[in-house]
Amino acid sequence: MPLTTLWVLPLVGAASCALSGSRAKYAALAFSAAFLGAAGMAGWLQHASGASSAVAELGPSWAYGISYRLSADSLSMALIALTAFLNLVCVAASWELDVPAGYWACFLALASALTGVFLARDLFLFYVFWEATLIPMFFIIGLWGSGNRLHAALKFFLFTFAGSVFMLLALLALVCAHHRAVGVWTWDLAALDAGALGGAAPLAFWGLVLGFAVKIPMVPLHTWLPDAHTEAPAAGSVMLAGVMLKMGVYGLLRVAFPLFPVLSWEALPILGGLAAFSTIYGALCAMAQTDLKRMIAYSSIAHLGFCLLGVLSRTSQGLAGGALQLVNHGLTTGALFLMVGFLYERSHKRGLSDFGDLASRAPHLAFFFGFSTLASIGLPGLNGFVGEFMALSGALSALPVLAFAGLLGVTLAAAYALPAFQAVFWAPAGPGSVSGKITDLVARERAVLWALCALMLWIGAAPMPWLAWFEPSLRGLVR
Amino acid sequence: MTAAQVPLAAWLLFAAPASAILFGFFVMRRVKPEWTHLPILLSCAVVTGASFWLAADVYAGHSFDLNLFRWAEAGAFGVDFGLRVDGPGAAVLAMVSLVGSLIHLYAAGYMKGDAGFSRFFLVFHLFLLAMIGLLTANNFVQLYLFWELVGVASYLLVGFWFHKESARKAALKAFLTNRVGDFGLLFAVLLIVLQFKVTHFHLLYLKAGSGASFELLPLIGVCLIWAACAKSAQLPLYFWLPDAMEGPTPTSALMHAATMVTAGVFLLVRSWPLIAAVEGLPHLVAWIGAATALFAAVVAGSKKDLKRILAYSTVSHLGLMMLALGLGRVGAALFHLIVHGFFKAALFLCAGNIAHALHQPTASVDDVGGLRASMRLTFAAFLLAALSLAGVFPFGGFFSKDAILDAAWHHGGALAAAGMLVAAGSAFYIFRMLFLVFLGARPEQRAPRVHEAEPVLAVPVLFLALGAALAGLLKAPIERFVVVGMRGLPSGLPELSVVLNLPGEPFLPRLDWLVAGLGLLMAALGALAAWRLTMSDPGFDWRWRGGFVEAAFESDFGWKTVVDLCASAVSRTAVYVGNSLDRRRLDGLVEGTAGCARAAGAAIARSAQGRVNDYLWWMAVGAALLLARALR
Repeated sequence: MPLTTLWVLPLVGAASCALSGSRAKYAALAFSAAFLGAAGMAGWLQHASGASSAVAELGPSWAYGISYRLSADSLSMALIALTAFLNLVCVAASWELDVPAGYWACFLALASALTGVFLARDLFLFYVFWEATLIPMFFIIGLWGSGNRLHAALKFFLFTFAGSVFMLLALLALVCAHHRAVGVWTWDLAALDAGALGGAAPLAFWGLVLGFAVKIPMVPLHTWLPDAHTEAPAAGSVMLAGVMLKMGVYGLLRVAFPLFPVLSWEALPILGGLAAFSTIYGALCAMAQTDLKRMIAYSSIAHLGFCLLGVLSRTSQGLAGGALQLVNHGLTTGALFLMVGFLYERSHKRGLSDFGDLASRAPHLAFFFGFSTLASIGLPGLNGFVGEFMALSGALSALPVLAFAGLLGVTLAAAYALPAFQAVFWAPAGPGSVSGKITDLVARERAVLWALCALMLWIGAAPMPWLAWFEPSLRGLVR
Repeated sequence: MTAAQVPLAAWLLFAAPASAILFGFFVMRRVKPEWTHLPILLSCAVVTGASFWLAADVYAGHSFDLNLFRWAEAGAFGVDFGLRVDGPGAAVLAMVSLVGSLIHLYAAGYMKGDAGFSRFFLVFHLFLLAMIGLLTANNFVQLYLFWELVGVASYLLVGFWFHKESARKAALKAFLTNRVGDFGLLFAVLLIVLQFKVTHFHLLYLKAGSGASFELLPLIGVCLIWAACAKSAQLPLYFWLPDAMEGPTPTSALMHAATMVTAGVFLLVRSWPLIAAVEGLPHLVAWIGAATALFAAVVAGSKKDLKRILAYSTVSHLGLMMLALGLGRVGAALFHLIVHGFFKAALFLCAGNIAHALHQPTASVDDVGGLRASMRLTFAAFLLAALSLAGVFPFGGFFSKDAILDAAWHHGGALAAAGMLVAAGSAFYIFRMLFLVFLGARPEQRAPRVHEAEPVLAVPVLFLALGAALAGLLKAPIERFVVVGMRGLPSGLPELSVVLNLPGEPFLPRLDWLVAGLGLLMAALGALAAWRLTMSDPGFDWRWRGGFVEAAFESDFGWKTVVDLCASAVSRTAVYVGNSLDRRRLDGLVEGTAGCARAAGAAIARSAQGRVNDYLWWMAVGAALLLARALR
């Protein structure tokens, strides 16, 4: 199956949603399901075709060596499958919302752009897809968000765009230097060599890293995230946390590490230090929040810190754990954001003190929320633990101090997640509470959450198939 | 040995509880929630049968340890999951399943009519399942998995009555304190992976016993001890346990006797060859144990709430087990763990009977008095268990405690004195409780009219009390059990003495009449003091209270205050980081750039407001610059 299908299919879906007016959500559902089917099939074919081979596709080339070059290994495939899965989850979760056709079109367009990012092997193409993801997300936050949505959308756009500019500069420097040295224009990731940059290499490396670090986000470049998450609609938060944050780590793995193998290793103390700091800082900030969504947003910062710790260690278990954690975080945080969205749909509130006693009023919701919370704080047997454990194990062998700091983050995770759970589900409803408006989950919502929770349990109890799948695409990065 | 050769009993240990829980969750909870306990009780019976079957196998020399499947792998890193059924594991497993099942039976009566009946039983059984997994794990990662699962189940049970604020607080405190301890275990496991590349117990024993030196081993040992201190409620992390009785009484019984706090001691038993290989660490364990045992025995003597007295008593007895471990008497620690399981479960359920009769979640010595006449069965059970706890000959506790006192005595010094003082303290607090609750009603006490508990409540208690009384008979079997159980393991395990670090000593000491006599004398002194202060001078317990002394006892001599200060320091830091630092400073800076851009824009706009004068000036300046350049 041509890889082009993978990103064109949701784009066609977006167009047909936009054209089908009031029946847009059916088109969205159909195309999302088809996309998930296609992504699953492509992943399976890739897996079956042999361990190490990445499916490649080369199209026409244009001026300055820009070419249409796609390829997918297991890492790309996993992230595309995650995109497709969460996209379907978002469509199913938003089913009853009263939104225009544009809403559905934006989600499919976003899925298309994200898929493109994970497929592109031409850096120009990569950059185009990278920036293209901003547009639908800008509209999702700005049009269908809550309260202060315009400010949040603008902040999100400008902040991440500013980061990407440095990335673009670094890429341009790289391509020009390569042209000067070899005499050939190319944007091909595999053909470029950072050696041509000479003394400017560190500058280009840090430019790239800056672009990726904003997306991850790494403290102190994270302040766009709490606002964007808080104001985005639930499904938007799911895509934002579930997939868009992963682009940063993916960029490091796919672009920065292979292009700058030495520099990226030398940067470990700085980047690893920031990652470890992010885990503690994110956890402490999450503890101080009184808004459920903000709390989960800050916890994302902490979780991505674990990912980075593993990935930066450049050991086989660290990379595997970090990569698995990319998927894990998408599932657990996605589930949590969805449930906060369900609460918000019913009550238009999301403060910790706005609820109470929900364990009695909405036992299904309590079960799923508790389950996802436990997965998110790294309970062994559920998915979060596998990634955290392997990532920390890798970090310990690379730079022990980092692992120690990361462990503190693991400990702190319970200190923000459980009090929040208790405040919403266990504590009695306070005087201003809106718990009376909360009805328990309907079958559609339960089905979505069962799918997410089943995956969490599967990855946690038997992660071996996933690890084995990732292994070939990470092997080359092991130091 | 392959997976196909795993005995059926070992599969049943997991299959029965797992299917009972799943069936209960998906079917019974919807169809007939008030019958949720039936499949679970069936599973309890199966589990008890299976664990005794396995114990018999081990006794006959058929221990086993094998890997079943690879859980995770990346490069050289790999973790297998498997099963290990050996002497220590099977011995504790048999006690846990028997005591646990009796408590399940009791809970069926105790929790009847509670709104959360089916939820309670599902989590309760999960608790047991987690402990079974912990006892049969064959490597550290798997042990950590079940260790955490035990923690989660206890969290849900302590917070079972979540409408009560105290229950929510206690659940959170228990989980977070345990999380602080888990930090140690997780760190230790990560260090083990780093140092040894394997997490499998038996491979680690071989490596640690090989005589090579491992530089990280001391750190690993300290981390493991830290973890055990949290789970087994030792100084400095014991403080969560006395609060954790906010859950229903069967929870406390299960937690104190079988499934939770014993996990820490068991962790140290499992990792003892690693800890014993580091000089000084066993001593650390012994001192922690002795200090905790003495401290908790003193505090237990001052409490009024029945469950709280028993909670501190558990802390004290776990301290004794740690003392035995630290002195290298792994067998004595295990033996006391098993006997303690019986008498502590019996005592908790007696307290539960009393609270149940009063229709209260818990009872204090103010609420009761002179219950001997109205609750004869409960009194008999309590008496048997109390005699066992106090270490009176020939009840079970005598034999297990004597083994520990013997070790401490022969070690000499402060540890010997501490052992003897704990013996006196234990007798004091348990007889004080017995006298206050069952004998004579004092004017300060309400002497309520209560009825004896119904049979479903009384019978399990009696069985447990009988077990506590007769457990002394187990001394020889347990010794043989552990010795044979360790020898039975295949594939080149070193001899028992290396594994358990017992150079040439008998596994459990022979009875030394001097130590036994001294121990009994101390117990008698304790009991006598209790008689003096509750019977000869009945008002004493109410008279000494108030003022500084009670405050000192209530704050556990200040330690609780220190802990609260630490907790509030963390949360204040979080508020500072989250609000001031992140929101105001950092985000303020980011948002400030927008303001700067706007201000700069406004400033520049001011210079271009369309006034001809301004433009003429600019032109003049530009012309002057150009001229200057041309002339140079």
